[in-house]
Parts: sequence; structure tokens; C-alpha cells
Amino acid sequence: MAAFTYAPAIVLLPFVSFLVALFAGDRMPKGGALAGITATGGSLLLSIWVALTVAGGDVHNEILYQWTTSVETLQLNFGLLLDPLSALMLLIVCLISFLVHIFSLGYMNDEGETGLPRYYAGLGLFTASMLGFVVANNLLMAFMFFELVGLCSYLLIGFWFRDDGPPSAAKKAFLVTRFGDYFFLIGVVGIFATFGTGLFAPITQGGEVVAESFPMLAEHAIVDGETAGIAMLETVGMGPQQWFTVLGLLVLGGVVGKSAQFPLHTWLPDAMEGPTPVSALIHAATMVAAGVYLVARMYGFYALSPTALAVIALIGGFTALFAATMGLVKQEIKQVLAYSTISQYGYMMLALGSGGYIAAVFHLTTHAVFKALLFLGAGSVIIAMHHNENMWDMGGLKDRMPVTYWTFLAGSLALAGIVPFAGFWSKDEVLYEALIHGFGTEGGLGTAYLIAYAMGLLAVFFTGFYTFRMVYLTFHGDARSDTARDPEPVRWNVKGPLTVLGILATTIGFINMAPVAKLTGAEIDFLHKWLNGPENGGWPAALNTGLHHYEGLLHDVSHVVKGYPLGETPTLLASAGVSLGLALAGVLVARTLYAGADPVEHTDKLGGLKTLLMHNYYQDEYQVWLATGVTYPLARVMNKFDQGVVDGVVNGISSVSLFGGSRIRRIQSGVVSNYATLLTLGLVLLLAAFGIMGGWF
Amino acid sequence: MALAPALSLGLASLVLLLADSIDPDSTNTGLLAGISGIGSLLSFGFAGWFITAGTGIADSTGVALFNNQLVVDQMALFFMAIVGSVTTLVVLASYDYIAGHDYQAEFFSLVLLSATGMSLLSAANSLATAFIALELVSLPSYALVAFLKHNKGSVEAGLKYFLIGAVSSAILAYGISLVYAATGVLRFDGVATAISSGTVQTIVDGSIQAQSGDPAVPMAILGVGILMIIGGVAFKTASVPFHFWAPEAYEGAPAPISAFLSSASKAAGFVLAFRVFAVAFPIGDLLAAGGAINWVMAFQILAIATMFVGNFAAATQETVKRMLAYSSVGHAGYVLIGLAAVSGSGEGLSLSMSAGMSHLLVYGFMNTGAFLFIALAEYWGVGRRFEDYNGLGKEAPVACAAMTVFLFSLAGLPIGGGFFSKFYLFQATLNVSAWSLAAALIINSALSLFYYSRVVKAMWIEEPTGSRTIESYPMGLYTAVVGAAIVTVLLLPGFNRVSEIAFQAAQLL
Repeated sequence: MAAFTYAPAIVLLPFVSFLVALFAGDRMPKGGALAGITATGGSLLLSIWVALTVAGGDVHNEILYQWTTSVETLQLNFGLLLDPLSALMLLIVCLISFLVHIFSLGYMNDEGETGLPRYYAGLGLFTASMLGFVVANNLLMAFMFFELVGLCSYLLIGFWFRDDGPPSAAKKAFLVTRFGDYFFLIGVVGIFATFGTGLFAPITQGGEVVAESFPMLAEHAIVDGETAGIAMLETVGMGPQQWFTVLGLLVLGGVVGKSAQFPLHTWLPDAMEGPTPVSALIHAATMVAAGVYLVARMYGFYALSPTALAVIALIGGFTALFAATMGLVKQEIKQVLAYSTISQYGYMMLALGSGGYIAAVFHLTTHAVFKALLFLGAGSVIIAMHHNENMWDMGGLKDRMPVTYWTFLAGSLALAGIVPFAGFWSKDEVLYEALIHGFGTEGGLGTAYLIAYAMGLLAVFFTGFYTFRMVYLTFHGDARSDTARDPEPVRWNVKGPLTVLGILATTIGFINMAPVAKLTGAEIDFLHKWLNGPENGGWPAALNTGLHHYEGLLHDVSHVVKGYPLGETPTLLASAGVSLGLALAGVLVARTLYAGADPVEHTDKLGGLKTLLMHNYYQDEYQVWLATGVTYPLARVMNKFDQGVVDGVVNGISSVSLFGGSRIRRIQSGVVSNYATLLTLGLVLLLAAFGIMGGWF
Repeated sequence: MALAPALSLGLASLVLLLADSIDPDSTNTGLLAGISGIGSLLSFGFAGWFITAGTGIADSTGVALFNNQLVVDQMALFFMAIVGSVTTLVVLASYDYIAGHDYQAEFFSLVLLSATGMSLLSAANSLATAFIALELVSLPSYALVAFLKHNKGSVEAGLKYFLIGAVSSAILAYGISLVYAATGVLRFDGVATAISSGTVQTIVDGSIQAQSGDPAVPMAILGVGILMIIGGVAFKTASVPFHFWAPEAYEGAPAPISAFLSSASKAAGFVLAFRVFAVAFPIGDLLAAGGAINWVMAFQILAIATMFVGNFAAATQETVKRMLAYSSVGHAGYVLIGLAAVSGSGEGLSLSMSAGMSHLLVYGFMNTGAFLFIALAEYWGVGRRFEDYNGLGKEAPVACAAMTVFLFSLAGLPIGGGFFSKFYLFQATLNVSAWSLAAALIINSALSLFYYSRVVKAMWIEEPTGSRTIESYPMGLYTAVVGAAIVTVLLLPGFNRVSEIAFQAAQLL
């Protein structure tokens, strides 16, 4: 298991590149880019090695460094958890980061940007933090790296800090996600206080469990009634399931903020002010995935709470639809992609909430590839258009930049969910899982699933529409501006990453063609096998992070049951057919409206709805109102209280003290006979007082 | 032999006079300071050696001398060590301070004689010896305060000190006579026996016996006597309402003498108080006998009043030396907690007394150091007010850094041993749930930080107002100041050892 010995280097290599770029970047060729490329390349190779080792059936869960022990049993550690889920995520993050570093050569270096060391230092620190988050084996470590990626996001969004937009967008991203993280932090403290541990998976030595994980403790508490060791339940006066739901929802606050789910999604569109490679890496493929990944990481905990599952599914479904509608009317290419990102993460949440663990991880994987591709493609277009992002100024770029066009098209087909591109397979599985669990599960949870499914399904149509509206406006028709007629050519460092991602976006769906597998009986659902592990023994038995375990919990504790309204195979086909049909319908509508040589705006036909959509349902406005209308006056009252009452008391005490001091000073008159008098008087007073008390007289 | 710490001080003072009489017309400051320094260092060394050797631990009563008139036990040695160390620092500093003055031999021998008195006082086991030792402390110090004969302030301070001292001594002597009248004995253990048995005692061939006819102890007379003894002790420790002399004397006296009086002399007053009240007037027996005075309550009143008067007056002073004088009064209030944080049945006395002792030891270094810094400032001719210290940190960074350590340690910040000793006192108050004392301690410590930091702010932050040049950096004063600062800081990690010794000493009583 040598791979696991070197696993910490996966995190440390990009960190070294961060240091190199920060301190020596201005003395190096390419401003530190080469260090970053080398480091992420090295991490990628190591990740592949780790993945191969994990594929061989080995897993790794170990504490590396214990940084605090308390008098009680509570310990705070840094540790590695390398199982199929984290190995897969490592691959994704390293690959995208590697490609984005290369792309940055074209987007930043060739464009003559200044401050490159700062840029590459940011990318390096981000990659290191994200990888640290992925391999974290406990919740606190995960939280720390979660915050670090947030910091890097802030630094990189505000890269062009001399302009007006980016600093403001960076602040917004930081504050909005911090609002969610606040709940996350409380959740972390709550989980530590409840279970005394933040481990995601039990640590075993020689087959014996030496440190239990908190999802397992929660499971024992609910399933076996072992609540004796959990004093917190008595403190809060709740049953185990209710309290664990509260904890889960608190952690979900961080997830909602980071994965840009409603109502904390408002920061992501603004984050597009950052450099486009940053948008591709951080705000599409990896950091935004951290929230979803966290839910998947501690899925054993969420699977115990039907309420939390319903909340996750509903948030996901609603966000998928809500964000897709806002993407319909945007004019800037990156804005469309931003809303599409929010919407796609909604699908992942929907999958997680409705018991589709595989579907969520699958969609996370495919989305990382095709959305990174689309952002990099958009970056290529932006280079060509001299940083004009308005799609109405483009048009006709198809012939002038064919590599970008064809790869972008592959990404768009994947995003829209057209067979056989990657997005079709994963999105179909998300919807299929929501559907069958919606029909099978009884009570409110099943209803919630069906509602969420309906919203997700509707969003498929919108996705197809806005994706191909974007494609037609950007690449088809006649060029609508001079720059579009004579775009700046892009070099290999842009085309290379695009090609790699384009091929992947076309093919990566094949890792889990569940419908084909079911129909033909061929064992080609590789991702399913990857996350399920061997049925008996092996790593799932040791870590309890296998799919099989989660399905058992979903079924036994939350009563999530599969149901097939039309029988198993017809339901499968109908679900795939409906979603494909809706996607195609969306594409066709877009084609009818925008495919001509000289497309015109159709948004005015929406009437009042257009204003609503253009203003993003006034989400920003109401959040600003919350800040200025509610929080600010409240803060002012607090300030008044602080200045008036608290400071008043303090100032009062000090002036009373000084006044008292000056009075006491006057006793010291300087006349010695006064002193003698006072001294004698004092003694006499004492004598009299104690004499009366003691009854001497 | 057990009296070696006191004897070495006394002998050194005689040697000084001898050395001076060989050639009365010339003055060799180095020789005189050297003799005094060796004497006081020897005293400190002996005390330290005896403490570590465990004198008085094995036989639990200590080494009794002169028919039990003196007793050398751990507590006596603890205070002898304090006296020895403070005297060493003062002598070291005086080497520079009095260079050029007349009567240097007399100065040093007076200091040493007074220190001898303090050492003896630590070991006094009878009201008579205690009184004599106390006078041996006081009389030289009156002369020392007025040492700067041509300085009106110094002379006036000396006279005031003497007058108040005379009144206080009279009160103390009267108190002693009343106690003697009530109990028939002067020895501390005899007084205790009289109180616990309720009958007047006498001493025959060194052993305590009841007087024939078993006359009862008149508790009212005893009570008045005890209260007057409290008065005498309060004078020596500069506690309210006997503190009036302190600000004037400290301000008028040469700064090394202020350091000497406010540290060593105060410690001597406290050792008397601790011993008399812990040994001779056991509070449990007193209360059980009924009718007599509850001295714990008296000390509580005194402690709170002293803390408030000292600190509040210090907060509004304009000159640094006077501020330190008042703060020294405030610190007497803190140490009084040692006798005040005691429960009705006498529990907690060991803890609170050891807290008081530890504070005195730490205080011996930080307060002496602070006054010696004033001596340094006077030596340089820097003015007396806070403003005059502006920007001093730039010109004398080492001394100012030491002063900062002293002041913050006095305030109770964890930069020196003052933090732990104050914390220990606080614990002692909590131990017996004496909330009023605890509150007074906290409030006054917070207030004290205010006026101490005024000096620090002036030294480091403010810009100097006028032009001033520092010509020389006197070696002796610097050594004393820096040495005291180092010890103050070292007492932070070393406090545990000090408090252990103090607790053991207090328990043995």
C-alpha cells in the first residue's frame, strides 16, 4: 500500500507550488505556472496510483497528526480517508486543476496579465485546500479546508481588484457563503459535542474498531437504541432522530452556501467576475461540488433522517428549476453557464435527497467534466472576443474557431442531456431514482420526492433551451460585431485542454450506463460497482461507506422504497424517454427561435416575466433589503446599547473612581496634626464599634 | 547559629562603623557599599540555606532561642530572606545614589541596623522582643528618611514619619501592656494558652502555668489590647487609617530608602502581624471564649479600606513617586487579605497567610525595583511628574523595559510573579467565600492597571516634551533594577516553589 504512504503528497504538492509561486513566482518563467502544472500533474499521477490501489480493494483511514487532546476523550486530528468516493473525487479535482493550469497559460500569460504569481499562488493554494478537503477523514478537518477553499475563492474572484466589480463580487461570495458556513460551524460543534468524534468512517486496526465514526454512532443510537453514551440528547431534550436531523440541517447550511443552492445561490453569478479559468475550476467543477461531496461523504448520517432527506431533495429540485429559468434570458455567456451550474448542482442535491447516491456522484463526475469544458470553451471565446462576453455581439464563430466549437458543442449536448453524451446518463439516473423512490415511498417523503422530481423534469426542458440558445447565439448565424468577424486566434494551450475535456464529455457517461446495463444484463455499471464494493466483507464492511450500507439505512430507517408504476423495465424506458424528449424539445425550440442567420431577441414576448427573470426574481434585492432594512437597524440598536449602556457604565465607573480618588487625596492635607487626629479617631471608631459588638462596656 | 541571617546584618553594620572610624575624614563608597552588600548577601544566603536545609521543619516548633523569646522557623527564615534580598538591592542602588553625600558610613550602617531589626522581628516570639525589634526597625528609618539634610522635603517627611511613628508606637506599647495585664504573659504561646484556657497564666522556668487561684482572663481588656496591637501593626504596614505617614515619607525620602521602607519594612510589619495573630490570638479560641474581639473582621475592614484608599488615591496622583507610594498602600491592603480571608472557625488561615507571604516576596522585588527606577530617574534629574517620563523608553530602553515589567507585575499581569501571587490571594478569598474581599481585589487590580499603564504609556508611547540628556548609566542602580526585573520574571515560573515554601511555613505555625 505504498500509494497510501505517498497520499499526503497529493495535497502537499500543490501547496508547495503555492509557496513557490508566491515567493519566487516573479523570478520564474510564466509567473509560477510551470510549478503549478508540475505539482498538479504530480498530484494527478499520485491520484491515479491511489485510485488503482483502491480499485484493488484496499482502503485507507488513518490519523496523521493529532493536534489537540482534551482531558476528556475528545481529540482533534488531521487524517486521511481514502475510499472509492474520495479516490474518484481526487481524480476529478487533480485532472480539472491540471487542465485549468494549462489553459491559464493561454488565458492569463498570453493575454499579458500582471500579477501572475498571485494568480498561480491562488490556484495552488486552492487546489491544495480542495484536495485536503476531499481526503479529510473527519468533519473538523473538512470544515477547515472548506473555509480555506472559500478564502481562495474570495482571493481569485477579486483577482482584478483594481476594477469595481470583482472586489465587490468577491466580498459578496465570501459573505454569502460565510452565512451558510456559520450554521455549518455550529453543526460541527454540535456533532463533536454529541458524539465526541467527527470521523466519517471508523478506524480499524486488525479487524477491531479502535475509533468509531459519528454516522455509525448515530446509526447505533437510532437502530439499536444505544443512546446511553450520548449525553447531549438529554441536554437538548429530543429524541435521537430529531436531534440528528437538527445537526444534519445545520451542516446543510454550509452545503447550501457552498454549492450555491437556493436561497444562498446569489453569490455564484457574481463570482463570474473572476478570471474564466478560475470560474471553470472553482465555480463549476470543484469547489462548488464541495457541498454535494460533503453530503455524500456523510451520507450514512443523512440517510438516517427522512426529514433531512426531504429538505435536501426539495431544495435540489427547486434550485434546479429556479436557476434554469433565470438562465433563459441572460445575455452574457458566463452568466448562462453560472445559472446552469446552480441548476445542475440542484440535480445532485435532488439525487442525494431522494436516495440516489450513485446518481449524485455520477452527475457530480460528468458535470465536473462538461461544465469545466463549457467554461473553458467560453474562456476561449472570450479570448477571441477580446473580453466581450455579450452573446449578442458574437455569432458565426463556428467556422473561425472549429476546435472550440466542436468541443463546446459536445459539452452543450452533455449539459442538455442528449444521448449518448455524458450528461444524459447521469441526469437520467438522477430523475429515475427520484421517480421510483417517489412512487415507492409512502407518506410525506414520497410526495416530496414526486414534487422535486416534477421540478427537476421541467428543468430539463429549460436546460436544453438555454444551452442551445447559447450555442446558436455564439457560434451560428452571421457575425454581429467586428471582433466576431475577426476573432483573435487561440493557441495549443487552450485547444489542448478543450480537446481532452471534449472527448471526456462525450464518453464519460459510459462508466455507468445503468439503463443499458439493466436492459441487456451486461455488467457495465462500473461506477455502481466502484462505490458498492464487494457484497460481503472488504472495505464496505470496514468503513461502512459503501452503497450497500446506505441503501440498507435508507430502506430500514427512512423507509425509502422503490416503486415501479409501470413495471420495472417500462418505467426505466419511460423515464429516459420523457427526459430525453423534453431535452430535445428544448433544443428544438431554441433552434426555431435563434438558429437563423440573424437571430432577434424574443425575450420581450415574456412581458412582465422578463423583468422578473432579468432581475433574478429580485433575490439580490430582497437579500440587500434584509441586510440594510433589518440587520443594519438591529445592529444600530445594538451599537446604541453598547455605546450608551455598556460604555456608559464603564465610563461612569471610571469617572466615579477618579472623583473618589481626588476626594481621598484631600484627606492627605500635609498637616501632621491632622494625621494624628485622623489616626486616633480611626482607632477610637474601631474600638467603639468592636466594643459594642463584643459587649465590653 | 540559627540567627545568622540577623547577626550577619548586625555585624556588618558594626564593621561599617569600625571601617569609618579608622579614617573618618575620607569616604570610600565602594568599600562601604561592599561591606554592606556582603553583609546583606550573607544574610540572604544564610536564610536561603536554612530554608532549603529544612531548619524548623523537623522539630515543628522551630529553633527556640533565649528562653523562647526568639524562634527561628520557616516563616522567620522566609521573611529574613525577603529582608536580605531587598537590603541587597537597596545597598546596590545606594552605591550610586548617595555618591557624593556626607555620612555615607552612617547611611549604610543605619540601613543595616534597620534590616537587623526586621530580621529579628521575623523571629520574635514574645510581645516584648517584638516591640524592641520594631523600634530597632523604626528609629534608624526615621533618620534615613531625613537623610538628605539640606532637602526640605526629606527633613519634613522624616519629622512627620517620626511623629506618627511615636503615636503608633505608643498605641502599640499600650496594647501590649493591656494584653499582658489580661493574660499575665508576653510570650505568644503563653498568650494563646491563656486565651484557650480562659485563665491568667505565668511562666515559671520557661514553662507556662496557670496562676494560682485560676483568675479568669478579662476578655474586654484583652480585646482592647488586641485592637491596639492591630493599630501598631497597621502603622508598620502602612494600612488605613495608619497610612498617613507613608505617602509623605516615601516621597520625601531618598528613593532607595523609599524602596527599603515600602518593601522590607512593610514585610517586617506583616511578619509580626502574621505571627502574633496566628500564634498568640488563635481566632477559633478567641471566638469560643466569647466577648473578645473578632480580629478577622477587623482585618477585613482594614483590608478593604486600605485597598480602596490606596488605589483610588494612586489613580489621581500627578507624580510617579507618590503614585507608587499610594499603590504601596494598596498592596498592603492586598496582603492584609492574608489575615482577613479566614473562616469563622479559623480555617483557611494557612492558605491565606501563605498567599500573603508569597505576595510579599514577589512584591519585595517588583516594588523595590520600581522605586529603584525612580531612584535612577532622580539620579538623572528627570522630573517627578508623569509627563517628565515621556519618551524615556527611547533613551534608556533597558531600564524602562525593567520598569514595565515591574508595573505590569504590580498590576497583576502575567509578565511577572505578581500575576500568580495576586491569583493566589484571590484563590484564598474564594476558599472561604469572602466575596467582598474578592470583589475588592478585582476592582482595585483593574483600577491599578489604569494608573500603572500611565507610566508605561509615558515611557514608550509619548513623545518627550523637553530636551533632556542622560549622561551616565550608573552601574549599581542598573544592576539592581535589572536584577530585580529578572527575578520578577523568573518568579513567574518559579512561583510554585515559593508558594510551597510559604504554605509549609504557614502550616507549621
